[in-house]
Amino acid sequence: MKAIRRFFRSAGPVNAASSLIAILVGLVFGGLILLISNPGQALQGLGIIVAGGFGGGMKGVGQTLYYATPLIMTGLSVGFAFKTGLFNIGASGQLITGGLAAIYVGVNWTWLPDPLHWVVALLAAMVVGGLWGAIPGILKAKLNVNEVIACIMCNYIGMYGVNYLIKNSPSIYDQLRNQTVSVDPAAAIPKWGLDQVFYNLKGNYHDVSSVNGGILLAILLAVLMYVLLNKTVFGYELKACGYNRHASKYAGINESRCILLSMAIAGALSGIGGGLMYLAPATGLHIEVVDVLSAVGFNGIPVALLGLSNPIGIIFSGLFISHITQGGNYLQRLNYMPEIIDIIIGVIIYFSAFSLLVRNVMAAILRRHEASREKAVLKKGGA
Amino acid sequence: MKKLLALVLSVALALGVAPFAFAEGETFELALVTDIGTIDDKSFNQGAWEGLVQYAEENNLSHKYYQPLEKSTDAYLDQIELAVNAGAKVIVTPGFLFEEPIYIAQDMYPDVHFILLDGEPHNADYSEYRTNENVAAILYAEDQSGFLAGYAVVKGGYTNLGFMGGMAVPAVIRFGYGFLQGAEYAAKEMGIEEITVNYHYTGSFDATPEAQTLASGWYNDGVEVIFGCGGSVGNSVMAAAEAMENKWVVGVDKDQSVESETVITSATKGLAASVYQTLQQFYAGEFPGAQTTVKDASNEGVALPMETTKIEGFTQEDYDALYALLANGEITLLKDTDATSAAELPLEIVKVTVIE
Amino acid sequence: MDASDYVIEMLNITKDFPGIRANDDITLRLRRGEIHALLGENGAGKSTLMSILFGLYQPEQGVIKKDGREVKIHNPNDANALGIGMVHQHFKLVHNFTVLENIVLGVETTRHGFLKMEGARRRVTELSQEYGLMVDPDARISDITVGMQQRVEILKMLYRENEILIFDEPTAVLTPQEIDELMRIMRGLAAQGKSILFITHKLNEIKAVADRCTVLRKGRCIGTVDVSATDKEEMSEMMVGRRVAFEVPKAPANAGSAALIVQNLSVRSKTHAKPLVNNVSFTVHKGEIVCIAGIDGNGQSELVYALTGLIRPDAGRIFLGDSEITHASIRKRNDYGLSHIPEDRHKHGLVLDYTLAENLILKSYYKPGFQRHGFLRFDQMYRYADALIEKFDIRAGQGAHTVARSMSGGNQQKAIVAREISERPEVLVAVQPTRGLDVGAIEYIHSQLVAARDEGKAVLLVSLELDEVMNVSDRILVLYEGEIVADVNARDITAQELGLYMAGSRRSEVI
Repeated sequence: MKAIRRFFRSAGPVNAASSLIAILVGLVFGGLILLISNPGQALQGLGIIVAGGFGGGMKGVGQTLYYATPLIMTGLSVGFAFKTGLFNIGASGQLITGGLAAIYVGVNWTWLPDPLHWVVALLAAMVVGGLWGAIPGILKAKLNVNEVIACIMCNYIGMYGVNYLIKNSPSIYDQLRNQTVSVDPAAAIPKWGLDQVFYNLKGNYHDVSSVNGGILLAILLAVLMYVLLNKTVFGYELKACGYNRHASKYAGINESRCILLSMAIAGALSGIGGGLMYLAPATGLHIEVVDVLSAVGFNGIPVALLGLSNPIGIIFSGLFISHITQGGNYLQRLNYMPEIIDIIIGVIIYFSAFSLLVRNVMAAILRRHEASREKAVLKKGGA
Repeated sequence: MKKLLALVLSVALALGVAPFAFAEGETFELALVTDIGTIDDKSFNQGAWEGLVQYAEENNLSHKYYQPLEKSTDAYLDQIELAVNAGAKVIVTPGFLFEEPIYIAQDMYPDVHFILLDGEPHNADYSEYRTNENVAAILYAEDQSGFLAGYAVVKGGYTNLGFMGGMAVPAVIRFGYGFLQGAEYAAKEMGIEEITVNYHYTGSFDATPEAQTLASGWYNDGVEVIFGCGGSVGNSVMAAAEAMENKWVVGVDKDQSVESETVITSATKGLAASVYQTLQQFYAGEFPGAQTTVKDASNEGVALPMETTKIEGFTQEDYDALYALLANGEITLLKDTDATSAAELPLEIVKVTVIE
Repeated sequence: MDASDYVIEMLNITKDFPGIRANDDITLRLRRGEIHALLGENGAGKSTLMSILFGLYQPEQGVIKKDGREVKIHNPNDANALGIGMVHQHFKLVHNFTVLENIVLGVETTRHGFLKMEGARRRVTELSQEYGLMVDPDARISDITVGMQQRVEILKMLYRENEILIFDEPTAVLTPQEIDELMRIMRGLAAQGKSILFITHKLNEIKAVADRCTVLRKGRCIGTVDVSATDKEEMSEMMVGRRVAFEVPKAPANAGSAALIVQNLSVRSKTHAKPLVNNVSFTVHKGEIVCIAGIDGNGQSELVYALTGLIRPDAGRIFLGDSEITHASIRKRNDYGLSHIPEDRHKHGLVLDYTLAENLILKSYYKPGFQRHGFLRFDQMYRYADALIEKFDIRAGQGAHTVARSMSGGNQQKAIVAREISERPEVLVAVQPTRGLDVGAIEYIHSQLVAARDEGKAVLLVSLELDEVMNVSDRILVLYEGEIVADVNARDITAQELGLYMAGSRRSEVI
């Protein structure tokens, strides 16, 4: 009993539990919409959503991992910036600029030795995304421009700039489809055997999932970010700046440098996300020349919120949101309109982002619980 | 403790509904997978869907459409798989974006039949085109449709025209070239000395403020009619036209007169009709597999919706006469492969200003 | 004495908060027309008790009686209806409203939806004259002094015809002269039949103005005494639970070589032509405590910021020993041996969301002892923290792992003092190091400052508390409007004289 209580009082489980409760609340509301739009199949529908990628066999699980990859990266990007006191709403622009860099290298630098090609392309995505993230960082550090405004501007500049560059780079522009051309096969992220695991057998045909080594890289990067934030001197400085700029300055920490590096790292993470997205092998995913901001960048925000900005938590929240999205996709098997499904999935994700609120409520309940226990002890002592 | 219990219970409940996921759902015999647009895009998806629904309701068949998660070959294939798992016998895929997915799917699901609109199956690097027995590829003579529209507006006395295309894909280019040639044809017939046309591709199939601004600019400069050709681009043009007096729009793909009062006619493809016909053929055992069918005036694959056309001086008789000329091949048109730019078409009366 | 002589009685009040009993069977009886002091250290339960009287909390047990009749006070409106008013420690005024507008706020008289201010103005003017408050009803709050703002709060209570007036630590923000004025006003109010509850932990003020005094300690009522029949020592013993030394025990200073030299330092204001720090020069030697006295807002903060590197001075030079640090980074200054106990412990002193251990290495985390190859050495960090917790008697629920935010103010301050003194500085700049702390903690921090001095450190103390200035320092510099107007030996000056310097009405000839 005591052990359980102590377990629940420590931060980790409370955080995980609050995220779970937020998800459950979201599922309840999602279930309500299911019930309203088609009562007969609501239970089955909810089952499909909860089952997520598992509803599609091993391939479905693979698809969950595939869609989770860029989500984890943008979630890490937003979450990392949150931890250092910055709101990086510019993941969208960083992702698309990083993605363009990856595609450019992936298409044109065919002189690179094959095993290095995708690595260099991904590094290019990281560098360009990082530079793109550093712009709001510099503005904030040197001129005290609010990073939210600078990030939003950079999203649009990034999106229009990328469109312009694609249209004016014949080497990567597929004019017919108004999108980028496919990258060199050597520039695609290796599958690393994942295609041997995540497939469905259709007769003799291996129906292989789109998942690739990117998911492993994303998880590795999340762990790296966790170590960086929690174990290193650099992370200590960054978090100190995030929690209290003034105290950091007082303690002799170069806060401008912290802000700049923090935004650059956040940008680099989103950039890698873009790289992993557009270097994914054989999915036919290309940057389209349309005037629309990348949704994956914005979805990093609920991912980070649901994961409470903890890099390890973000792995799970990214997987969860992908899982639910995949479940929503399979929900099309039933008599639900895709638009209704979009609403349901949106609602679940929306409520999931309330995990911070739930955590505070839970903490308050625990405190009250303890107080009433102590009171009971006091009364007993008095009697 | 109670709270802990409640938590455990609710998690158990959530997991408890999961097994329902694997229960058998209903089956849907006819399916449509949408491309990047939505089902009510007033264009390809909607047109094809209307034909499918019409046939399904007349014959009491179950039907459903599926929307992919992203714009990629894998994502389209996922939806095809969903449809197949739900018991689809025929899957309609509107748009050339499905060329690659169908190339793959035709081998994966040899027992399922596909109707590919506006494209022919090929592999990723275009090195191989192949249409299996279970695939009916359908192309449209957009140039003829555009020709009809161009002819009609000039007949109506308009001489200051505009063409605003979406992406410069072959279908859109054919519409544009046909529109210019139709205007030229009517001008010659009527002895008009000059017709000016502003010509532009917006680069996307979306309704954007930029497209609307550009359309407003053209109208302000004296353009009377703009052919809004490509996805939702037409909506931007209509919005611009509605803000002014006596400015008109030519719709595309299907009859768009319900969209806006400003639509005087539409250069349509017989999307619904061709889906309907092909389904009819399928159930009659005459599925036009392993071949590409071009729908043009000879088989009523293109048309202007005359009952909603609002052009004075352009009569049903004019239309029928012109249509017959197209149908029997007396008028031949230059297509997208015949000129690299609209400015290079051999036109004498029509002056084209291409705006990049 | 007849029961109805008590205008307010709080009988056997008990109030629990999670994990703590804030009020335990407390009885407080307020006579009509008396000034009743409520004395206790921080956390003794004074604020809780007053919040109950004001309707902000409901007690678990006990009753409240007004004029002998039991009443229930559910919210501040109930309290107001019973004639209970409160001057909060932090004033509740709208800064861009006039005095009059603030006074009538919430009880405006209107006709057809329009304000009728003439009656209110007449009434405010009358009240102001009757009680000698001398407040201009048309002045804007942002333009008047803190002392005047407090009078506006008093007027607000009078305007609402409150008869029970609660003053929550009213002197904390005032100059000595303003305190005297307040005392005079309070006596006047009591003479007119108002009953006053006066919350404080300053014994001098109780001696000066109160009739009776109720002492709280750790949530319990220790007793109620007649102020005239007791002395400061007895009251402080009741408050703290042991004898308290009012004089800081210290040997005469043994000043050595110059440790901190400031030459012609100026800091310009962004908004005013007059500099915030104007051509200030002084020297602090090893082994002495130099105090910068002055009323808040006379340039102390800016002077300290310039010394410690938080802002850049516009002119002048600063030396630590032989090294010039005028343009050095904050980290350089720390490495040269400058420590800084900041004025605002929440803004500058601590990262509140870090643990105690992490806060204790805030200025040394990068040194080889605490890191290896860029990774923090948590074992070393916790060992160091445990040592400081032990040595400086920092109380925290989960020891070194306690999040700073959850610690009490006194222990937060102790943590900062521990960190700064343990840096083994040459010069220690301590800005209001005892602000908001209780007597025990103040005593401790003063002894630490003296100990540092005796070890040969140079200590620069910035304080607003006259007692502290008089007791702790060896030498006193008075800062008035950014200039040093006095440089005196602490033994050669009285509190009254110091007050005159601080108010700017006298200048020392030594300068």
